[in-house]
Amino acid sequence: MKKYRLVFLLLLSLLSACENDDFCTEDTTPRLIIGFYDLENPEEFKKAPLIVWAEKMDSIYQEASLDSIALPLNPDSRNITYKFSHSKEVDQINFTYESEDVFVSESCGFKAIFTNLGIESSTNIWIESIDINNSFIENENQVHVKIFH
Amino acid sequence: MAFFSITAVAQQKNVSQKDSIIYQKNYGLRLGVDMSKLLIGATDDHFSGYELVGDYRIQKDLYIAGEIGFIEKTSDEDNYNFTTKGSYITVGFNKNTFQNWLEMDNEIYYGARYGFSSFSQKVNTYTVFQKGTEIEGVSSAYFEPKTVDLNRTYTNLSAHWISFVLGLKVETFNNLFLGASVNFSKLIGATEPNNFKNLYIPGFNKVYVTNSGVSFNYTLSYRIPLYKK
Repeated sequence: MKKYRLVFLLLLSLLSACENDDFCTEDTTPRLIIGFYDLENPEEFKKAPLIVWAEKMDSIYQEASLDSIALPLNPDSRNITYKFSHSKEVDQINFTYESEDVFVSESCGFKAIFTNLGIESSTNIWIESIDINNSFIENENQVHVKIFH
Repeated sequence: MAFFSITAVAQQKNVSQKDSIIYQKNYGLRLGVDMSKLLIGATDDHFSGYELVGDYRIQKDLYIAGEIGFIEKTSDEDNYNFTTKGSYITVGFNKNTFQNWLEMDNEIYYGARYGFSSFSQKVNTYTVFQKGTEIEGVSSAYFEPKTVDLNRTYTNLSAHWISFVLGLKVETFNNLFLGASVNFSKLIGATEPNNFKNLYIPGFNKVYVTNSGVSFNYTLSYRIPLYKK
């Protein structure tokens, strides 16, 4: 029976090697990270109390005073207009981009990444200037767009 | 586990067999078909395939063994759907550990295989995975999810692997065998499609995260008897 015990152990160890990849834990489609900076001191964050929404859609942030925000981009479109309301003054920015679908893993499937981020048009009521820090949106680890106010 | 206890009984009985006559065994080429693949193919729209199995007895308890097969399978995952199509061949040996009484010729065996598959992967459709956006405490998709009918086929893919096999064969009528076996496999290498992954490989079955796989077969086979020894 010794032989079988060995075979049985081998079988068990092989079975335990068959781990299923059930939950998507990898990074998927990244959001656009926008940082708010002080116009006078461009290296410093300056919080802005904001209501933010995409044109004709629900607000994502409501009166949140943050130094950076994350906004989803639509992989099915090549541009999107976001509205930023600061003390009842509303500025809007129309972002343009290209997207590419990338396979991630068995459980996550495909994600989108965005390239060639640009600004088609924008208004300047409370926003003083906008700077694209990184036009390649692959993750959420850094600020892609800087807004100075 | 039932197989193992049967063997234990068989070994005890051997003691009284010392002065009995030697029963000769049939040697020959045994060919068969995996009935489970035919059955699954008949009931599941997303699967079609067949597998032919064969072995050749070279010693009383040692066989050269192999399988060839063809599989076309569509796998439906949460956010995508793909079709794998291809053929495979495996070669190796089976070693019988079952001590037969009298002229019986049953087997409980272990064995090893080297497997090779040539196949294609076709990504049919997918929906881009985008985490929900939280609005007033409820997380949901902010945009209508993007779904693509890609229908892109990656051809000329191949993979090779090694397997450890456990199985049994029972002689039901003269030279006609019913068998079942399980293969535990580990990928050695594979050509991966660009912007996709080999999640299923014909002959290997589903590829788990550790590059391992399990497959089964239930066979009906016939031994063409060539000589007795």
